[in-house]
Amino acid sequence: MPRRMKLWIVLWTPVVWLALTLIKYPKTIPLSSGIVAIVKGFFAPSIGNYPPLYLLAAAVAVVAWGVVLLVGRSATRGYPATVIATGCALAVWGLVNGGLFSPGGFSLANRTGYFTWLCQTVAVVLVAACVWMWGLSHPERAQLAVRNARRTWQLYSSNRQGMLGLWIIVAFVAVALLAPFLANHALLSPGAGIGPAFEHPTASYYHLMGTDEFGRSILAEFIWSARISLVVGLMATVISSVLGAGIGIAAGYFGGWTGEIFMRITDAFLVIPWLPLAMVLAAAWGHNYVIVIVIIGVTSWPGTARVVRADALRVRELPFIERAKAIGSGDLHIMNRHVLPNVFPLIFANTILVVAEAITAETELSFLGLGDPLNFSWGTMLHYAWASGAATLPAWWYILPPGIAIVFVVLAFTFMGTAFDEILDPRLRSREETAGYDGGGQPLLAADVVVPLGGFVLNEGAPLMPYGMENEEERREREP
Amino acid sequence: MNKRAYFLRKIANALLTIVLVASFNFVLFRVMPGNPARLLLPKGKVSAAAIAQQEAAFHLNKPILEQFVYYWSDTARLRFGYSFAFKVPVTQIVAERIWPTIILCGLGTLLATIIGMVEGVIAGWKRGKTFDTASTDISMIMYAMPTFWQCLLAIMFFSVALGWFPVGRESTPMAHFAMWGPIPLDFTTFTTLLYHITLPVMMFALGYYGEYHLIMRSSLTGVMKEDYVLTAQAKGLSSNSILWHHVVPNAMLPTVSLVMMNLGFIVSGAILVESVFNWPGIGLLSFQAMDAHDYPVMQAVFLLGSVAVIVANLVADIMMFYIDPRVNA
Repeated sequence: MPRRMKLWIVLWTPVVWLALTLIKYPKTIPLSSGIVAIVKGFFAPSIGNYPPLYLLAAAVAVVAWGVVLLVGRSATRGYPATVIATGCALAVWGLVNGGLFSPGGFSLANRTGYFTWLCQTVAVVLVAACVWMWGLSHPERAQLAVRNARRTWQLYSSNRQGMLGLWIIVAFVAVALLAPFLANHALLSPGAGIGPAFEHPTASYYHLMGTDEFGRSILAEFIWSARISLVVGLMATVISSVLGAGIGIAAGYFGGWTGEIFMRITDAFLVIPWLPLAMVLAAAWGHNYVIVIVIIGVTSWPGTARVVRADALRVRELPFIERAKAIGSGDLHIMNRHVLPNVFPLIFANTILVVAEAITAETELSFLGLGDPLNFSWGTMLHYAWASGAATLPAWWYILPPGIAIVFVVLAFTFMGTAFDEILDPRLRSREETAGYDGGGQPLLAADVVVPLGGFVLNEGAPLMPYGMENEEERREREP
Repeated sequence: MNKRAYFLRKIANALLTIVLVASFNFVLFRVMPGNPARLLLPKGKVSAAAIAQQEAAFHLNKPILEQFVYYWSDTARLRFGYSFAFKVPVTQIVAERIWPTIILCGLGTLLATIIGMVEGVIAGWKRGKTFDTASTDISMIMYAMPTFWQCLLAIMFFSVALGWFPVGRESTPMAHFAMWGPIPLDFTTFTTLLYHITLPVMMFALGYYGEYHLIMRSSLTGVMKEDYVLTAQAKGLSSNSILWHHVVPNAMLPTVSLVMMNLGFIVSGAILVESVFNWPGIGLLSFQAMDAHDYPVMQAVFLLGSVAVIVANLVADIMMFYIDPRVNA
């Protein structure tokens, strides 16, 4: 196992623990309450309080994965054992959160105790141990992974637009994670006004962005909104990518009638106008940010599916797939072990662009009043600004900050997606040099790639797709 | 591919997709929590008799497969029921609201296409120059901006600060125009209309123009690398002649197909613009229906939006057959 990987594990484990802790950090300990209170906050019983159902589901999945590894004997013994141990730790964590050791026995509704804190710490350490064991059990693959990661990073960090996007995202993620220290969450409740309604921004901290229609601090709302906006964007993207990649790979790999059926379903979803659909679903299922995540996830996958399918069609024709078939590999194995790794770069670049779309989608839904009324997001803020008539005052300090934040985040994800796309598709890197009469040597603009990957595609067999996409497919067909 | 086979295939595809979408619509409104008959009635207390009557009217008391058959016959006859928020049949309210949307989106699309294409051509041609970088950056930002935020900013700036246009949420006289009757073609009507429509159209156009600009520019760049452009250069043609006779006609095709596709989405795509500006079109209708939990209207709007997209795709395919020689080669 490469030394660098060990170093990474040691460095990243505390970061992951800190991030998980900050998400559940008590919301009412601002910086002004003193260093002792802040440090105590890190050991609060609420830290480990993730929803027990999710933890138990994750535990079942991890244990099952460990058992599969153990039975499959593709690794040394220690690795599956660590995985199973991690699963058990997750299970204990979930049970404790569910209130296993609290008076009144096990119930999912009532969770108490400092055990949850301990469980979270153990689980994070065990996850790190899993990665460590994986490295020990597959030294060559670990070597390769490290080398690929380093090379990707070298290419990525030389892309200025990509780095700009990355830094913007890092800044917003930091604001989202450090929200408990930046603004007191208590200021968000309707009665917690700090001044008159629609007060102009002034120089004191909570008044920096003025006040809203209830006299609340817009700065506090802005800071806490970053969380929901980013979480909804990221989680919806996870759902959308898994669905899109799964259906795309299946459609591309099987081809024939099965593929045709998958593609018809994708086409049907592609033509369904997503906003009315999302409105219907949100009206029926209720206003809650988890539901918003699910809605965006299940309505935004067809674009990914189409892009992935086009690539899977290319991979299917490669010689090693035939070889795998000849030695009797099953379809599932081939899709998982051969097709997925080959289309993964494309999925990854596409995923980052989908995040931008998902965040826009979340804002639009929230703006129409379908967001979570208890958890602010930038879209919800704009909804209240609109509903309270801030635009006609005009209370620009209420409308500008959330919108600017959205534009920054969306642009940043677009830049990042473009940068990755450029790394993964070397042809794009040289495209500028040959382009046009007078444009040689220009750096590639995000605009060149964002459109082809954005998912605007005509029906299958359509004569023309937006230019970049068409090129993409042509090239893939030409290549062996 | 010959003409007949191509058209038949496209039409069959479109029909199949319509069937799929309509079936999805059927399933969607039946997997939602609660009794579908209850969803088709206003919120609040409803008598059991009213629910039974609603069930009978929409055949919801029949077995599910039979319901499916009835659903199709109702849909085919455009019977979507009665809107309880507007107290009129759904078909009537949708028909009333469709014209303002078509006017708004038609003008907006026209504007977006013209600005986007012209800018895209210039940017792609003068690649790397100041105009290119500036206009492309602006398009990227427009592309990233949420449409409704642009609308709020526009209201703040043009309506409130400058006072040029009406403030968004005041009711528009458009609502009082008899959409079916002849609109009086006098000067006052025209200026009133202009006064109310300018800002929504501008914002609608702004939402789409970035996309057209980016597509046009990237497709122009691609076409300029083609061999026949080099040949044209070698023949000694002037830059202008190469641009307008060799590059632009070919580079326009992707943009045209994208515009056609977006035409399908405008039926539903104007929800945000219309809601902010209180423009009495389909978008505002679906927003109001959602607010009132008016499911019959939502169902109809949803179906209308999907069918519009499919039809627009079909028209784009057929148009491509005529304007792109590569298709029937």
